Amino acid sequence: MALLAALRHFPLPCRKAPLLNTWLWCGRHVVQRSTHGTPRSAGGEARRRNITVLTYIAAGAIGMLGLSYAAVPLYRLYCQATGLGGQAVAGHATDTVTSMTPMRDRVLRVLFNADVHSAMQWKFRPQQMEVYVVPGETALAFYKAKNPTDEPIIGISTYNVLPLDAAQYFNKIQCFCFEEQWLNSGEEVDLPVFFYIDPDFVDDPRLIGVDTITLSYTFFQARQGHVPTLPGFHGTGPGSKE
Amino acid sequence: MSTAMNFGSKSFKPRPPDKGAFPLDHHGECSAFKDVYMRCLRAKGFDNSACRQQSKDYLQCRMERDLMAQESLEKLGYKDLLENEKEKENKKGKNSNHAGTQ
Repeated sequence: MALLAALRHFPLPCRKAPLLNTWLWCGRHVVQRSTHGTPRSAGGEARRRNITVLTYIAAGAIGMLGLSYAAVPLYRLYCQATGLGGQAVAGHATDTVTSMTPMRDRVLRVLFNADVHSAMQWKFRPQQMEVYVVPGETALAFYKAKNPTDEPIIGISTYNVLPLDAAQYFNKIQCFCFEEQWLNSGEEVDLPVFFYIDPDFVDDPRLIGVDTITLSYTFFQARQGHVPTLPGFHGTGPGSKE
Repeated sequence: MSTAMNFGSKSFKPRPPDKGAFPLDHHGECSAFKDVYMRCLRAKGFDNSACRQQSKDYLQCRMERDLMAQESLEKLGYKDLLENEKEKENKKGKNSNHAGTQ
């Protein structure tokens, strides 16, 4: 009896609760929770765990942010390597020209168009209205420009290719565009365009019914000392020269 | 055109030429070759494949007179013409050998 009374006052612990780091008292089920007043070891380990998890989450968030910034140059590199998206592939162009074979079963008609800006006084026209080419074969075409005024005029040109789906297959090896061309008074010059149509043209499903491509050049007057922003030409982008 | 405000539609992105711009032929040094090429085009119904020899001659003229950066003709897509020429030279060589031995 006395023993039982003693047990009631001083209960024996029966097993250790691993998570709570305390003893479960049999008979009383006194359970200690890790609250503010708990022993330092129990709370400390939980805090360390929390801090570890928080560190991992923070590292993950910063990593995602860095990846989103790095995605821009990485995607550009990927496009250069694989040539997707119509981007100029660095170093790939000469290999294509050397190794391509003409696709003789697909004859394309290339029409030539010439325009000048209204303030530009050059006379600019193509020397042939059309040329029949096949994809995979290099072709040469000529434009003619004349400066009928009394003073030298500097011209600079840009071009356009229609239909737009075909534009990515139209590659110019050398032409007269995007650089200032100086014509003295009364001078007349031949302006050649050396181009080819990529053999992948025949595989594009959007271009099945296309057999006419229009190449259109427009000349503008260049102002002295004015350097226009040209598409990737002077910069370090994928289309920049050398 | 590329200036149309069509949201989501394709626009044309002009690309610079692979080998840059041709220097202007101010003195018309290669105009003769150009005339030969244009006459060939008109005669053959503007078929580029029929006039490749003349276009090769024009580009060679430009390269000789420093109006174009020197480039091997294979890199300009004239590999087949060069091979034909080599074959013809080989045949000529063989024929002259035959004539010499006989």
